[in-house]
Amino acid sequence: MIARLDAAPKVTGQAKYAVDHNFPGMAYGYVVLSTIANGELAAMEVTAARHTPGVLGVYTPFEPLELRTPISQMLGEGWVPLQDKEIAYYGQPIGFVVAETFEAARDAAALIEVSYTERPALTSFAEGLATAEDAKTGPRGAPSLSVLAEGVESIEDALAASEVTVDATYETASQNHAAMEPHSAVAVWNADGLTVYTGNQGSHGPADELAQALNIEHSAVHVVNPYVGGAFGGKGATSTPAFLAAAAARNIGRPVKAALTREQVFTATATRPATVQRVSLGARNDGTLVAVRHDSWSSTPMSRSFIEPTSHGTSREWYATENLAISQKAVPLNIPPTTFMRAPGEAPGSFALESAVDELAVALNMDPIGLRKRNNSAAPPGEDLQWSSKHLDECFDIGAARFGWSERTPGGRVDGDWLVGLGTATAMFPGLRFPATVGITLRADDTAVVATSGADPGTGLLTVLSLIGAESLDISPEQVTPRLGDSALPPGGTSGGSTATASAGSATMVAASTVIDELLRLASSPGGPFDGRETAYADGRVFADGRVFADGESMTFGEVLRAMERISLTATGSTAPGEERTKHSFGSWGAQFCEVRVHRLTREIRVSRLLGVFDAGRIINPTAARSQLLGGMIWGVSAALHEGLDVEANGRFANADLAGYLVPVNADIPEIDTHLVEYPDTLLSNVGARGLGEISIVGVAAAIANAVYNATGIRLRRIPMMLEDLLED
Amino acid sequence: MRPFELSTPATLEAAMDTGGTFLAGGTTLVDLMKLDVLTPRRITDINALPLYGIDTGDGLRIGALERMSEVAAHPGVYPMISRALLLSASQQLRNMASIGGNLLQRTRCGYFRDVTMPCNKRDPGSGCSAIGGANRMHAILGSSRHCVATHASDVAVPLVALDAQLRLRGAEGERTVRLADFYRLPGDTPEVENVLRQGELITEVIVPRLDWAAWSTYVKVRDRQSYEFALCSAAVALDVAGGVIVDARVAVGGVATAPWRLAGVEAALRGEPVARASFEAAAAIAGHGTEPLSQNGFKVSLVKRTIVRALLELTEGGSR
Repeated sequence: MIARLDAAPKVTGQAKYAVDHNFPGMAYGYVVLSTIANGELAAMEVTAARHTPGVLGVYTPFEPLELRTPISQMLGEGWVPLQDKEIAYYGQPIGFVVAETFEAARDAAALIEVSYTERPALTSFAEGLATAEDAKTGPRGAPSLSVLAEGVESIEDALAASEVTVDATYETASQNHAAMEPHSAVAVWNADGLTVYTGNQGSHGPADELAQALNIEHSAVHVVNPYVGGAFGGKGATSTPAFLAAAAARNIGRPVKAALTREQVFTATATRPATVQRVSLGARNDGTLVAVRHDSWSSTPMSRSFIEPTSHGTSREWYATENLAISQKAVPLNIPPTTFMRAPGEAPGSFALESAVDELAVALNMDPIGLRKRNNSAAPPGEDLQWSSKHLDECFDIGAARFGWSERTPGGRVDGDWLVGLGTATAMFPGLRFPATVGITLRADDTAVVATSGADPGTGLLTVLSLIGAESLDISPEQVTPRLGDSALPPGGTSGGSTATASAGSATMVAASTVIDELLRLASSPGGPFDGRETAYADGRVFADGRVFADGESMTFGEVLRAMERISLTATGSTAPGEERTKHSFGSWGAQFCEVRVHRLTREIRVSRLLGVFDAGRIINPTAARSQLLGGMIWGVSAALHEGLDVEANGRFANADLAGYLVPVNADIPEIDTHLVEYPDTLLSNVGARGLGEISIVGVAAAIANAVYNATGIRLRRIPMMLEDLLED
Repeated sequence: MRPFELSTPATLEAAMDTGGTFLAGGTTLVDLMKLDVLTPRRITDINALPLYGIDTGDGLRIGALERMSEVAAHPGVYPMISRALLLSASQQLRNMASIGGNLLQRTRCGYFRDVTMPCNKRDPGSGCSAIGGANRMHAILGSSRHCVATHASDVAVPLVALDAQLRLRGAEGERTVRLADFYRLPGDTPEVENVLRQGELITEVIVPRLDWAAWSTYVKVRDRQSYEFALCSAAVALDVAGGVIVDARVAVGGVATAPWRLAGVEAALRGEPVARASFEAAAAIAGHGTEPLSQNGFKVSLVKRTIVRALLELTEGGSR
């Protein structure tokens, strides 16, 4: 077992998260939120707040902190608080109070009297469907797309001509990332500029956004986040507390700390959209898919910040079919911003598609695994680029044997008072990578530093950097100090899209090869220990005469540096996605298996067994990999049975705290089995890993719904599934 | 949380004199102070008062400051009390929360807990947000047009089934009140939840002896397996002779504005054979007089099912 390098500091409380940083003279900020969902601020009476003892500043759209709208390369146009009086959702940041203590700031905030010019709010997704619009063309292409076999006029024709069809509509709830660490920041200005301690998914993005927002040089902003208490897509953009703390700290000339309360996190950040999805499948009697239609609607805020690409994330690629039609609509509502959340598109999309595939298996009277294997795709429908490395059938075979799938009967079984059912589903997540630069420094004490600006929000990247760094430098991981979470480091390793290992890993390999080349050049240069001789590198040593063998004349890299009176030698390596994307399609795959128990009287749904078998390329750290898989699968249980934001007519979230927004407790989670088939995918990147942060949530909700059907004969098409959905009277 | 004055009296008399809000385990008071729902200026920490001890000599006498975990673990406690306690909250909370404080815990209604929202219980006359709002967790029994909030305690459910009494101590002396009479339904004054007078303190919980309650259980149905309040719960005890029910106690939680004893169900069980059909027929009575809201109609079915499940688990030892 490879221990996580950050495990000990985290479990012993030594790890310093953003708000653990304290500075002399530091003040505390408290964010004020709107209590209407649509309208305009008419007035904010702040006199009482301003006169509260200890209050240092009260900022509102009437007396704002100056912030400019930043534009980020990855996220597009951002949003900065307090710059206008428009209210577009309930819980929108509209004020910021800074005081000597948190309590003083919060109590003063409570004294602010807000009056609004209110407009009718559209908050109901069901009602908003009537005014749905085409989603914007995004990174996954145009909102609508179809692939039709020769001679087929329309997807309707293809479905009509199918021997067996299923057609159903599925719903998934809006969710919040609910990371343990709330969005927070500590901002400190000094002669060199601004330092902001704030949890995020990669320090480079927020540093850039803060520089733009505050209208200062990029080089004057330093963002630090060595530890992040969970992100999951919700900490990609710079948070409201970070913008406000930085601007207020400049205004009052003192460091400012600001954190959202748990309740505020639900609205003052961003959420996963709710979706409605209609899936129609047409097949031949032998189970061959001939038509797939998947129409999706995603809730989105009035700013259209993000839509959940459920059709594009699943039906576009998963199964071989001659005829395919997908569409994506956006439903603008007066709701908080939407954004990426673990497997955006794939997670809710797979609930619909993989439930529909199960419904088709029932209609065909076929084994659901057999049906999936029959329609395995070699490439996305209508595309020539074949999957670089796909072993989904093997995942199903291994899973079926491990899980005892052959014991399954169409009507489930009964165990005492419990109805027991088994379900399965496919999981998939695209194989991606981002541009990344990694710096490697060889030091005279025979250690090395591997550094990039990205984040390890619990994913294990820090340990992965040390492992890939050690392997690439041919030294032991103990000799490697990995560094992350600092915008002063080379830009790379952003946590997102399950890309960090492939991106930062391959850049590490390039950096290692570069620094070794420079080391060899140095060693054989004039005045070097191997002046004028050929050199070779192995085992952390430079060998003379280009020959590597035991007892050969050699020096460690530290000895070389010491001989040349160098403290260190640094090189960077950069990689980016490139021509591989013109040769293959890339994706990780998996097979989810689930056993549920439903009480025959009171109808609670409890998951009693879970197995996930995944094909995610090369695995760098098996311990951390399993941990990632467990987290995702548990989250899938959560999505299926617990999580869902309850939007009221006035736009308020009825359950915006962890007492109302349920996530599973230990007692809800059974023993979970995971297995990885390990086929390095060196067509994607030289490191061979495809990443597995997101894939393991995909398909879990469908596997559970399919198991509920197996147990009860009742098909549930909405998550989270509640016990009342199974009460028949 | 707002500043407050704290006193820590050592005697009941001294505690009475402080005029402060009583603090025992703090699991409700501190929580609601953080949310600004309760803003006491003076707090009286009563943990040093001599209100401890569990006496099982004749029936059960439980000092009001005994922790939930201590009561649950006591061998002389009827099973349905013990189970109700163990299915409550988390171990950490059970280690802190007192039995007296448990009975006084406030509702979990989300509108009560959000000071920006109207709530007649928190701010009389401001209106009830739950009636037209998120009310899946709310009451179908005992509600009024002013309040539909459920009573959140688990252990109060078996305690009303067992006809428990409370010893109360106030400036005017001591008195004993049946727990069933202690709670007040919301009616026109949802802010008044019980008959406690200003400055009065629960000192003891008394459970009358009922030997056949040794055969009792508590079933809790909820949205997750632990650490969640009941959608519906049922405490049941049966006195059976020769396969026939001689007497029964049945109370339900999670569905009413107070712990809800079902005398009609108890009466319907008496004289009937121990059989699923008897249970179902009696449980049907639990649906009488229910007033479901827009999101909790399922509780009408669930309450009957939960009673049947509890009776079956008691008599057949059904699996959990």
